[in-house]
Amino acid sequence: MKKPKLLFKYILLFLITLVFLFPVVYMLSSAFMPLTQINTMLDFTNGEYKEVNLIPEKVTFNQFYQVFFRRPEYLYKFWNSVIITFPTVIGQTLVSTLAAFAFAKLRFPFRDKLFFLYIILLILPLQVTLVPNYIVLDNLNLLNSFLAIILPGTFTAFGICLLRQSIKYISDASIEAARIDGAGYFKIFTKIILPQIKGGLVTLLLLCFIDNWNVVEQPLIYFDNEAMYPLSITLSEISGNDYGIIFASGVMFMIPPLLIFLYGLKDIDSPFSGADK
Amino acid sequence: MKYKRKEAFAALLFILPSLIGISMFYIVPYIICFVKSMFIGNTFVGLSNYIELFENKTFLLALKNTGIFTVIATALLMLVSFLIALFLNSFKKISSFFKSALLIPVVVPVASLVSVWQLLFDDFGAVNGLLTKLGLNSVGFFNSPFSMVMIIIIYVWKYCGFCVVLFTAGLSSVPKEYYESARIDGASRFKLITKITVPLITPTTFFVFLMEIIYSFKIFREVFSLFGDYPNENVYFLQNFINNNYYNLNYPRLSAASVILSLFIILLLLIFYLFERKHSFTQ
Repeated sequence: MKKPKLLFKYILLFLITLVFLFPVVYMLSSAFMPLTQINTMLDFTNGEYKEVNLIPEKVTFNQFYQVFFRRPEYLYKFWNSVIITFPTVIGQTLVSTLAAFAFAKLRFPFRDKLFFLYIILLILPLQVTLVPNYIVLDNLNLLNSFLAIILPGTFTAFGICLLRQSIKYISDASIEAARIDGAGYFKIFTKIILPQIKGGLVTLLLLCFIDNWNVVEQPLIYFDNEAMYPLSITLSEISGNDYGIIFASGVMFMIPPLLIFLYGLKDIDSPFSGADK
Repeated sequence: MKYKRKEAFAALLFILPSLIGISMFYIVPYIICFVKSMFIGNTFVGLSNYIELFENKTFLLALKNTGIFTVIATALLMLVSFLIALFLNSFKKISSFFKSALLIPVVVPVASLVSVWQLLFDDFGAVNGLLTKLGLNSVGFFNSPFSMVMIIIIYVWKYCGFCVVLFTAGLSSVPKEYYESARIDGASRFKLITKITVPLITPTTFFVFLMEIIYSFKIFREVFSLFGDYPNENVYFLQNFINNNYYNLNYPRLSAASVILSLFIILLLLIFYLFERKHSFTQ
């Protein structure tokens, strides 16, 4: 009686997993397909329904060869993405950790009112903040520079709210004890808080990285020069004659976030288990 | 309440970098934005920019689509991820492989998947192939009301895993004894979920909802990569409207649209917050 039910549950589990992995697997295997197969695959004019084909007719690295050695423009765009993403992620993590500590553990006037303001800022979508940001950047003469994305990206409320949740779980007793031993607040921050919020930090790094890696809206509005566009925009504008590299450049683009994800995997669960109090 | 001066001073130092940045790039500009929404050039016009917006057909279309998308997509995502979380929770032990597989869609960049979505959803894509094989009519995902369906599917697919992880964390915090004593009293499984699980994980649900709202506005990225600047009228969202108005730099109109979008979200949050308070018995 119990066995078939369990088997059914495992089949269902397998199917759910398949649904979530399928598009990614599809893209990965397509990156190794020869050009002729890609062209037939992406030719939507012949009036036949597409079949899902996960197996390359012949495994070839030609797409990767093209991206890395023949089409430097894609590598340039890749570097634009790196230039935008890395400073933003580092900046945001730094600024957020400091502020999150104060919001979670220190007492000061207007703390909760200020934090409420932060939450509202967190919820407002990018399109709302784009207009105000544009006005400031215009006045600071920062339009058409990478700083136009990096600076506003550094100061967002998202990291503060996320890390505040993590820090709240650290016991007040350990902080009190350190206070009695004469430790200053900065020492408490570096010696007690930081070592205990690794999970929260990794989660923030990952989410912040993905967010900025996928940046689309800001460059379209802030940059006149298309050479400054990150790969996230270029990839969505690839045209018919570039099909030979469409999947390989997609794979190249997803490698950095995937690496961070795999690296941080064991830490990512922990902050969420605390996120619900 | 009394504050220790030293502590408050330290706190100020910790918050200062973020406070300066946030005021400079968000708070002050918001005020400017709000003021600008009531001016045309240098003349004060009160609410006439807003009135004009509400007479603008494109804006109304965008508002309608955004409303439909937000309500349906967030509710659906909430339901699907809650059910999957319950399902995963029913296993005694489960490999972390499955959890990480669920998270993969959040990690993979939007732009990497564009061609896969096209292969699946094109007029002659794999999904339509399957539909015709089953004897159903094929569906124009790129040029009919089904565009909205496609975008909702992509949204749910993408963020489901993330919400499941949040929900499973919440579920594991519900004390097991509650279920046991209710079961002894003869409660059905459905009752257990609606009377114990749902009320007890309300804080998690609120957090999930917050995340869903934030991410629902990021769906613009998918819309942009699949449709470009001018998607068909079924998936023309407020974000498209605002983005396209940058090109003609109509500040008053942009500012007014931003203020309306903000109000829309704050209202949505308020409704959910009140609903949550009414239906949870904790606190």
